[in-house]
Amino acid sequence: MSNFFVQLVLLGLLSGCVSSRIEQSRDASTGIKSDEAIVLLGRASYNEKQTEDSFTECLADALGRGDNPIRLVEQIQFRDDLYPWFEPRTAPTSADELGKLFTQPGVKERINSANVRYLAWIDGDTVTIDKGGSMSCAVSTFGGGCFGMSYWEEDASYEATIWDLRTMTSTGQISADANGTSYIAGLIIPIPILARPGNAACKGLANQLRKFILGET
Amino acid sequence: MLRLRVLVKQNILVMVMLLFLQSCTTSVVVKGTVPTPLVRVIPAQVGVYYSDEFRNFMHEEVIRDSGSWRIDLGKQNLSFFQNLTKSLFAGVQEVHQSTLTTEESLNLDEVSVASEEMKNLDGVFIPTIKEYGFLTPSISGLKFYSASIEYSVAMFNKVGAKIGDWNIVGYGKSEGGIFSSDDAINEATVLAIRDGGARIAIELIDQPAVRAWLQSIDESIESSAPPPGLANSPESVDGAPDE
Repeated sequence: MSNFFVQLVLLGLLSGCVSSRIEQSRDASTGIKSDEAIVLLGRASYNEKQTEDSFTECLADALGRGDNPIRLVEQIQFRDDLYPWFEPRTAPTSADELGKLFTQPGVKERINSANVRYLAWIDGDTVTIDKGGSMSCAVSTFGGGCFGMSYWEEDASYEATIWDLRTMTSTGQISADANGTSYIAGLIIPIPILARPGNAACKGLANQLRKFILGET
Repeated sequence: MLRLRVLVKQNILVMVMLLFLQSCTTSVVVKGTVPTPLVRVIPAQVGVYYSDEFRNFMHEEVIRDSGSWRIDLGKQNLSFFQNLTKSLFAGVQEVHQSTLTTEESLNLDEVSVASEEMKNLDGVFIPTIKEYGFLTPSISGLKFYSASIEYSVAMFNKVGAKIGDWNIVGYGKSEGGIFSSDDAINEATVLAIRDGGARIAIELIDQPAVRAWLQSIDESIESSAPPPGLANSPESVDGAPDE
């Protein structure tokens, strides 16, 4: 039991501070039946930015668990089933384009058979906005060690745009911003104090998205 | 005895060197899903020609900071295109390079197809890979591995005249760590094949030259069909009507 508390205290010490903010704007009312599903698609563009797969996986994992789990269709499965309409360069960019897309042969039938009610586009990424400090490590015949300190500040900024595939409209947007600074202090052994803004943004966005889809907010 | 020792030492040295050289080469055999496109079917029976180069496409490159790379995308690319063309056209038949004389075959640029094979076809579809390239994060300075494939797609009609040819560039990118560069290149290449295929699947039917070719197929069917009412008439089968 005491070991558990030591681990808990250590974890607390080794976790850096993260500040996060969640904002929501709703355009239409929502709600979901237990047999209906949602699909999360990461936006990919052909510049240096792309929503990390690990972020959409984190969101999917969080939404599929808890007191009110939501049925999810996997991103890869959805893209394969509806190929070539949800590829990075062919995917609809606004809900207004859904009407035209649904006239393509088989598209509406595939979405209906998978019972996908909502599609959430996840856009954003985590970037390092500042870094500094210095740390050096050395090894010799008498032993080794690290001295110094380095830090880096990360900013995670993500947005979910939710489309209702039944009404073919956009129902709203949720944005999550999180910021945190991580440190590594070299005191013989390197001690990392890590902030995980990406993880905080994922948890915050998942909680809000769940409430949004269920129509609780 | 001394000679034997020297030989054993030499062999071990060669083996160690070979292992070292092998470890510097990253080999990737591209594998991924092969989705079936949900698109309007082009109402034509086509022959598809895949060259040996297309079937066994391999890219080899030496990058200063990342060692040598060997990327085998032939199999994945071939099965992707076989599936794509099956969904894209009403009927598909693979055609092969003919060794027959010019009288017995059609010359489609550098591909010769037997006239016999063309009998039941409305045209021929020939995809080729013009160029493949990839970038690692160390080269691009980005967080991603990326790959691009430039395809050339040529189409010929029933008599061997070129309908048109189009260049399509497929692009894909994937996150990857230092120790999973092969997986990241595999994923980026699969995405590049999908991207190129998506453009072919969506845009080919809307090309003016393809529309004109489809119209000519319709017209030739109409002109070869007997006048309305005649086909069902028993007189036309027997020749002269009974008096």
